[in-house]
Amino acid sequence: MAQEAPGAGGKRPLEGRGRSLRVLRALLGAAAGVPALALAAMVAVLLVEAMPAIRYNGLGLFTSGLWSIGSLYSQPVRTGGVLHLVGAHYGALWLIVGTVESSALALLIGFPVAYGAAVIIAERLPRPLAASLGLCLEVLAGIPSVVIGLWGVLVLGPFLAHDIYPELAKLPDVPVLDFFRGGVGSGEGLLTAGLVLALMIIPIIAATSRDLLRQVPRAPKEGAAALGMTRRETFKAVQSRWIRSGVAGAAVLGLGRALGETIAVALVSGSQIQNPSNIYDTMTTIAATVVQQLDSALTDPSHLAVRSLAEVALVLLLITLAVNSLARLLVRRSARDVALPVGAGL
Amino acid sequence: MNAPSMRQATRRLLARRPKRLLLSLGSGLVATAALAGTVGAAPASASLRVTHHSAVQLTEDGSSLLYPLYQAWAAGYGKSHPGFSSTSGADGSGTGIADAENGTTNFGASDAYLPPGTYRQYPTIENIPMAISAQMINYNVPGLNKDKLKLNGPVLAQMYEGKIRNWDAKAIRRLNPGVKLPNLRVVPIHRSDSSGDSFLFSSYLAFSDHGSFAGRQGPSTLPSFPAVEGELAAKGNSGMVAACAGAKGCVAYIGVSYHQDIANDHLGMALLENRSGRFEPPYLKQIEAEAASFPRVPANGSISLIYGPAKNGYPIINYEYIVVRKNQPSAGLAATMRAFLSWCINPKHGNSTAYLDKVRFKPLPAAAERVASKLISKIR
Amino acid sequence: MTSAAASERTLHWAEERTAFSRRLAEKWSLSLTVLALFLLVAPLFWVLGGVTDQAARVWSWHMLTQTTATGGLANAIVGTFVLLAGVLVVAGAIGVGCGVYIAEWAVPRRRLLLRGASEVLSGVPSIVIGYVAYVALVVGLRWGYSLVAAVLALSVLVIPYVAKSTEIAISQVPTSYREGAMALGMGEGHVLGRIVLRSALPGIVTGLTIALAISVGETAPLLYTMSFSNGYPDGHLTHTTMGYLTYVAYIFWDEPSSADQNLAHVAALVLVLLVVALILLGRLLVRLTQRHSEGAGG
Repeated sequence: MAQEAPGAGGKRPLEGRGRSLRVLRALLGAAAGVPALALAAMVAVLLVEAMPAIRYNGLGLFTSGLWSIGSLYSQPVRTGGVLHLVGAHYGALWLIVGTVESSALALLIGFPVAYGAAVIIAERLPRPLAASLGLCLEVLAGIPSVVIGLWGVLVLGPFLAHDIYPELAKLPDVPVLDFFRGGVGSGEGLLTAGLVLALMIIPIIAATSRDLLRQVPRAPKEGAAALGMTRRETFKAVQSRWIRSGVAGAAVLGLGRALGETIAVALVSGSQIQNPSNIYDTMTTIAATVVQQLDSALTDPSHLAVRSLAEVALVLLLITLAVNSLARLLVRRSARDVALPVGAGL
Repeated sequence: MNAPSMRQATRRLLARRPKRLLLSLGSGLVATAALAGTVGAAPASASLRVTHHSAVQLTEDGSSLLYPLYQAWAAGYGKSHPGFSSTSGADGSGTGIADAENGTTNFGASDAYLPPGTYRQYPTIENIPMAISAQMINYNVPGLNKDKLKLNGPVLAQMYEGKIRNWDAKAIRRLNPGVKLPNLRVVPIHRSDSSGDSFLFSSYLAFSDHGSFAGRQGPSTLPSFPAVEGELAAKGNSGMVAACAGAKGCVAYIGVSYHQDIANDHLGMALLENRSGRFEPPYLKQIEAEAASFPRVPANGSISLIYGPAKNGYPIINYEYIVVRKNQPSAGLAATMRAFLSWCINPKHGNSTAYLDKVRFKPLPAAAERVASKLISKIR
Repeated sequence: MTSAAASERTLHWAEERTAFSRRLAEKWSLSLTVLALFLLVAPLFWVLGGVTDQAARVWSWHMLTQTTATGGLANAIVGTFVLLAGVLVVAGAIGVGCGVYIAEWAVPRRRLLLRGASEVLSGVPSIVIGYVAYVALVVGLRWGYSLVAAVLALSVLVIPYVAKSTEIAISQVPTSYREGAMALGMGEGHVLGRIVLRSALPGIVTGLTIALAISVGETAPLLYTMSFSNGYPDGHLTHTTMGYLTYVAYIFWDEPSSADQNLAHVAALVLVLLVVALILLGRLLVRLTQRHSEGAGG
């Protein structure tokens, strides 16, 4: 409340204004605290909910791949103070591995596409065409994940399984390509999940890279061109350096989105808790497992199943928090203080 | 922009509508706070909804197999009882049970009966048999899909364990003398989501072959299927149908309500070996025979109908359950629930073929109906 | 042939070769980006075409008037709009408030903290939010399946988007506007309400549209907070179930009756159309408000 110019135009006494302003300020301050509060509440709720599972599962959660609710129709028994079903064992190794693998695959496939498209949109295309492609990016980002998932399982998966994967599986028999050989399955599996996830993160990365490219100042570009550099050489010398860390941030942001994607992965991953034997094999992720197993877990009278899902949800939350913080950090370090769109390219 | 023009601009701005934006923002925040306040004071459990005179809305959630039938029941009962309506959801059997436990909905629907641990923890919960369903074993073996191949528990268990890898394996040939079985890789398909269907299938394997993986684990809505090369997993019964149609050599377990999907995709349906050593299809007569072979229904309604002693019975059938709290917050609500459920199990109304045929369910046998009536009368 | 001539020719050749390889690299990189653009656009139209195709085969007009109990989507469409209205009020108020506070009043250190929390929240997987809402609100606070729990879960998901857009929009309001207003003796509140927020309106509208577009398409936070109902919303805030489109797409796909399966396909199409409509509406609103605020700003 810096201004001290009474009377210049104020029809009402200054104190009145000051009071309503203070109220408003307090209200908005409370609103501003909501995200932090929500974060803290989520971590707290998950932690409390997961406590018995944390005690029961111990480090086995990260070292074992066996995930079993146990004998549902047995009487629950107590071990170390924790009630559980006979045979209950929760090892989330393959869930974590599957989450990382599918997201890494999505980034591997999606990043070059998104970056390449952003380059041509920002550097080569005339404005109207670039604008309509911008609309395409928005629509792609806006398609609900359940719709992409249904398309993935009804259209993409069968197509890949019949026409693409059998050809891929014929790749030369060299050790590096081992992962591409073997049975191709029904089209639901790691590679399909990676492709669907790639589709979902492409708009984020593409829109951010495009915006970053548009903010590169003109002078150094013109300088490079004056030196006789081709457009590609100019790009390498100027633009790509200018936007490097911003693009890296966008990529990590996309990774974060892929790690947490739930419904689409639940539909196209095959949802098998296992270490996929090749790139077509069924697998699953933490998020997909939570949404698909919560139903059965609720039947478990010892409640350990629900609590173990809370524990892996907590693990997922911590992973995505770390990845997102990294993304923000990278963008902060970017040449310009580019506002990284929180929106998925929208 | 120079100073005078700046001032002009600002004046023009000032001349416009006053702080509407701030006002709406502030009121939005207040509304949010008020909303939170109202909700905090809301009643503590699903209760009777009396919107106006004698209008009651019940809520139901759970099994996706029971969902279409429950919906038809609610609509049919509502026709003869104006003012009655019920919503229904299909979040899955486990959610249905939890909903009833927590009082989140009035009814939960489940393909599986309650685990004993649940009774101990929620003594006021009961499951009421409402109708009978069955499960098909389907396959996709080109040329043989119309022939109704014969299969049994031990062979199915070995297929799902990866011990029987080919359709011309000796064990399958022995069950199907005279049938020319192809040298085709067996592709077992199981449900990836938690499911009452997996519970029924694993029960059949467990009861007919104690040494199988299912026998060792016990029946479960989420069995740990052994890893088999080339196996598939699918979400939901529709997913099973689609996966099986797309994979030659598949074998899958699918709810009998999906018979039309099976026919549309020209999949095969197996005859299953029952306890008497006969191979039977999941038809009305065989289902009724199986149900009749369990004349003694326990008072709490919890009983598996799988692999019974009936000579001509089809071995994978089950009660579909409504899970409910015995103690209700008001006598009026309890009375409405009793009346509705009694109507549903009445062979002249809800348990008539007019309702059951569409989903291929079968009516409750007399003994089960008596137990169900008694359980319904406990809702107070 | 003298050695000098030979070396000159070699040099010339080398230069030509470099020029050639440079041109080649230029073409090569251009075609790679064209390929990338194709790989971005083609799947989009593949998805849109696939969804439209699946829905067109089973489409009928009465799906817009009947409820899911009788083979339509009307209740799910209404429910989706009720959710959107809730999100608009809750996430709109909190998100805009959050953005305004961060941009206008927070001291630098607190600003960094608040902004960081909001940005990090935007990365929380939606299923985690849904799970926590189920445990804490539906079961813990005994609200049962409820509109409020669903709206809160969705709002937590989208508040960061609204807050960020608001903050950016405000930070882009020219300082001269404020200074001018201050010079005229306007109080801080007036400056904020009449000048800053008004100029920032296009950005805020964009944020709200993003929030709504995301809310339309979410499934995971709603499955266990809202459940489902075949009827229309009953006006209650707690202990109520309600239909919405993503549920139909995700769950009905697996129902035994083909009528229900058809609804899932149509719901998918309606979802896409809603999202596209929201995006276009957002652009229209931005254009309108932009003209408005620019006209006002002179």
